[in-house]
Amino acid sequence: MPEDTFSSAPRPFSKVLVANRGEIAVRVLQAAREAGLRSVTVYSDADVNALHVEVADEAVHIAGQTLAETYLNSEAIISAALSSGADAIHPGYGFLSERSDFASAVVDAGLVWIGPPAEAISTMGDKISARFRMIESGVPVIPGEELTVPDGSDHLGALAACAARVGYPLLLKASAGGGGKGMRAVQEPKMLRTEYEAASREASAAFGDGTIYVERLLTGARHIEVQILADSHGNCIHLNERDCSLQRRHQKVIEEAPSPAVDPDLRQAMGAAAVKAAESVGYEGAGTVEFLLSSRGKFYFLEMNTRLQVEHPVTEMTTGIDLVLKQFEVAAGLPLGIIQADVGISGHAIEARVYAEDASRNFLPCVGRLAIWKTPHGPGIRVDSGVRQGDAVTVDFDPMLAKLIVHAPTRRAALRRLDTALSDLIALGVTTNIGFLRDTAAHHAFSSGNVTTDFLDSSDISGFSHSEVDPTILVAVACAAQRLGLERVLSDGGLGALDNHTGHSGDPFKTLTRSFP
Amino acid sequence: MEWSVGEGTGRYSASILDSEGSLSLSSLNLDGLAVDTPDVSISRDNQHGRLRVEIAGAPRLAHVTKLGDDWWIHLDGRIHVVRMHEPGSAETEPVEGGLSAPMPGTILEIHVKQGQRVRDGQALMVMEAMKMEHRIQAPMAGEITKLHYSVGDRVEMGATLIEIGD
Repeated sequence: MPEDTFSSAPRPFSKVLVANRGEIAVRVLQAAREAGLRSVTVYSDADVNALHVEVADEAVHIAGQTLAETYLNSEAIISAALSSGADAIHPGYGFLSERSDFASAVVDAGLVWIGPPAEAISTMGDKISARFRMIESGVPVIPGEELTVPDGSDHLGALAACAARVGYPLLLKASAGGGGKGMRAVQEPKMLRTEYEAASREASAAFGDGTIYVERLLTGARHIEVQILADSHGNCIHLNERDCSLQRRHQKVIEEAPSPAVDPDLRQAMGAAAVKAAESVGYEGAGTVEFLLSSRGKFYFLEMNTRLQVEHPVTEMTTGIDLVLKQFEVAAGLPLGIIQADVGISGHAIEARVYAEDASRNFLPCVGRLAIWKTPHGPGIRVDSGVRQGDAVTVDFDPMLAKLIVHAPTRRAALRRLDTALSDLIALGVTTNIGFLRDTAAHHAFSSGNVTTDFLDSSDISGFSHSEVDPTILVAVACAAQRLGLERVLSDGGLGALDNHTGHSGDPFKTLTRSFP
Repeated sequence: MEWSVGEGTGRYSASILDSEGSLSLSSLNLDGLAVDTPDVSISRDNQHGRLRVEIAGAPRLAHVTKLGDDWWIHLDGRIHVVRMHEPGSAETEPVEGGLSAPMPGTILEIHVKQGQRVRDGQALMVMEAMKMEHRIQAPMAGEITKLHYSVGDRVEMGATLIEIGD
């Protein structure tokens, strides 16, 4: 990418502010660097030493403890852009990425907004208006009856009446929700009140908007989403599907592309529906149209995410298209430069989300310090990480530490690569779900490609693991480590200098089993 | 020194044999009773934080690090925690009938009052951490004898939240 691509574009920019943190901020900042753009990020008090601050060319401190004061503070972020000389803002995902008022404010401040038009965000962000727009455009929507429940005083009566008409089980969703937050399944009427209050509170805490709505809960369906790309010249294409059926409480756990449940005809049909959905709101940039695929092979519009997705790497791996770079180009007013026929599928990619949580204790978030953090590498292995060795994992943010993405010629090979890479991911000091990810990916339901969205929630996950280690071996290792004084941290920070653990690094003449002269 | 692996597995005590830098267990007790020693020999690696572990003659590398009393061990692609205890020390027992915070976080809601009778599994309070909510439920039927926190309080992991008596 020549460096003048963006400075000579119709909407030129040269310095991008990334208004996010964690792995996605790191991902976008690196993409900016690759594109020859300078970068700025913002950080809160708690993030003074965070990885994204280190990766950015410059970082602006936004004082405050709460998200509202910092990463959700649109005024402070725009003024950080103006004071640092940034001329474009990339919101990442979460936080302000789907706030149409923020998108407008960025443009009003004379900055380039790296995202879709504010009008597309607000139409798709309101699930009711999105649904009507889809019905008008001929995109199939989820069956059942819906009702908006205004946030405020006595709304429970109206909600109960609507719920009775829709029928149980049903799904309560925050209209402004996403990422599983503010979304609750209600199995029976007596649970309606508590679930509603919980969903509405979660949505307020995470998004600053407590509106909720009701929808029929489809069981036994798969979550299939289609990546789309559109430019400001009327071009809109899809980049095939991702299968995100492996979820726990509506949080995606493992995602893959292509879907084992989608054949070329269905792919073409879903891709065309996704393009129609995007075009109906005048979409620009990268976006994702989510569908539920029923057990009978029918698909229904779920929602459109008007931003980059957490799981975007599996699409990048299988299409060879850098989605963040495309976002930059579209924002700069450049044409896509690719047509639908250019988009192929190369091999199979799987992403596993590494969370600081304890699978054996109902997935409670875990905190601590990542005393050792070593990520695997090798052909077909990608790690998008927001943390580094020595970092503290605190309660202040989402517990996702990193994403491990593998790419291989076939699904079977990708599964093997995933298992090997997960076993080479060494995270000591904070409990993570790495073992759970290995067990789940190895479960026959997933390895055979037959998982539906209710799989994890309806399974006894304590039965997933078949790898009980002899505790006496662990006691022997701990005793030996204690005897050899391995608890002492080297004064030269030697922990950080360690290479991979395969035994083939360091002294090139020494391997695991023998030493060469 | 005594050792425990995971929760509720008992206490091990071991004596270690050092044969020219190759360490193995010469005896092992579980809760005071002798058990078989594993076929394992362990030696230093050239890099700090790693051990060479030979299990039944097959070599592999373990990554280890100690945090507090816990040895974190990565072995064969799995992560384990072995806790060190002073010999004869008691388990840190939670307050009798007490419910402790499963994570650090903020109290969002309290559904019960002191003196109230609750049934097994009843939702007592709601906590929030990392933007997700968790319900604290009664582990048994009984009477609430003490509430330690109010709505909005931030609590540390392990803090006793509620006490329940018969």
